[in-house]
Amino acid sequence: MEGKPFKASAKSSSHHGSGRSSLQDIRNMWTTATLSQPKLNVQLPTVREDTELEDVNLSGKTRWSYDQKSGQDAEGGEDKDRFKPEEPEELELGHDSSQGSRLEEDDSKTDNEKTSSVSSLNISRHTPHRAYWVEQQSRLPLPLTELMENEVLEILTEALRSYQSEIGRDHSLTKQLKRYIEGLKRRRNRRLQVLAI
Amino acid sequence: MKLKQGSFLWYLYLDKLYCLLSVRNVKALVEYFHLLDVHRKKTLNDVLFYHFLHHVTDLKRNQITIVFNMLDWNAVGEIGFDQFYMLVCILLAQENHLEEQFIFRHSRPVFELLDLDGELKIGPDNLHMYNFLFNIKKQQLRDIYYNFDITGDRLLNYKEFKLFTMFSMDKYQESQKAEKRRRERKLYSKTDCHD
Repeated sequence: MEGKPFKASAKSSSHHGSGRSSLQDIRNMWTTATLSQPKLNVQLPTVREDTELEDVNLSGKTRWSYDQKSGQDAEGGEDKDRFKPEEPEELELGHDSSQGSRLEEDDSKTDNEKTSSVSSLNISRHTPHRAYWVEQQSRLPLPLTELMENEVLEILTEALRSYQSEIGRDHSLTKQLKRYIEGLKRRRNRRLQVLAI
Repeated sequence: MKLKQGSFLWYLYLDKLYCLLSVRNVKALVEYFHLLDVHRKKTLNDVLFYHFLHHVTDLKRNQITIVFNMLDWNAVGEIGFDQFYMLVCILLAQENHLEEQFIFRHSRPVFELLDLDGELKIGPDNLHMYNFLFNIKKQQLRDIYYNFDITGDRLLNYKEFKLFTMFSMDKYQESQKAEKRRRERKLYSKTDCHD
């Protein structure tokens, strides 16, 4: 359990730059999130590279949804996963239209011009990341979410056994609990797949 | 009572002065409660509550049942977020050795929790029953009823209970000061030896 939170923390918040594996780290992240915000801005280029890779590879484009919808807070426990499948469609249009023309410009310029255009591209991408980090202040850190979900899964798996033995497998509450557990597992596996890539 | 190391609750902490969770911690707790709320009723039934406590603490089955009955103050058979939050604060107070402070700061809600019958008085049995939560030792229990039962009815009303909490808070602070002085004396004696 100690390994997973720090995998997530290394990718999602590289500003902590911590390779420590002590259990103290999650607590420090949680309490120093706002204090570390200036550091986040300094190290944004590193984070951008990671997100670019993820965007290219997968439904990482959904991450832009949180950049664009920075004011919206996701509902309860249902939208902790950043890579929601419903979102990419509307975002790809926006993403492509805003970035496509810039990319065409990059191709046609010389190296020096490309450098300046890339830097302008970086600046244009800076704004979404700021919104992303601002929103992160009101969201739970990913390692904490992961810890909660894993723990809740263990608790509910034991509860399911009690339900099955006490009220039977065919009871509506048992079925509801079983479906809920499966939904949680699916969400967790999706997140693990994304992190693995 | 001990919290399981590495569990979600283990990472939360109380403000040492007011013995309450910060807003961030409450937000995290709300999300956690929402995840546990399988049936979308904004409550936990007795089975879910039992498995939750069994997983994150070392409490026994009968102790968990006592806690559930204590928190189910509306007798609906389910625990809402308010009661869940109260429980988490109590667990964290015990985990961080802040029982005296917690009872002092929140004497009214604690009194109402202990007053199972609603008679506005608590007997020694009530306090003894919840000993595993509030860590009130036997000697302390005797002291309570000897020193604070002003009315002499072998029961504590709220004012008497409040006096007890103030007294135990004073004692706690004195013991903290004494401990600090002892540590400082040790430190000075060590530095003197080196000289």
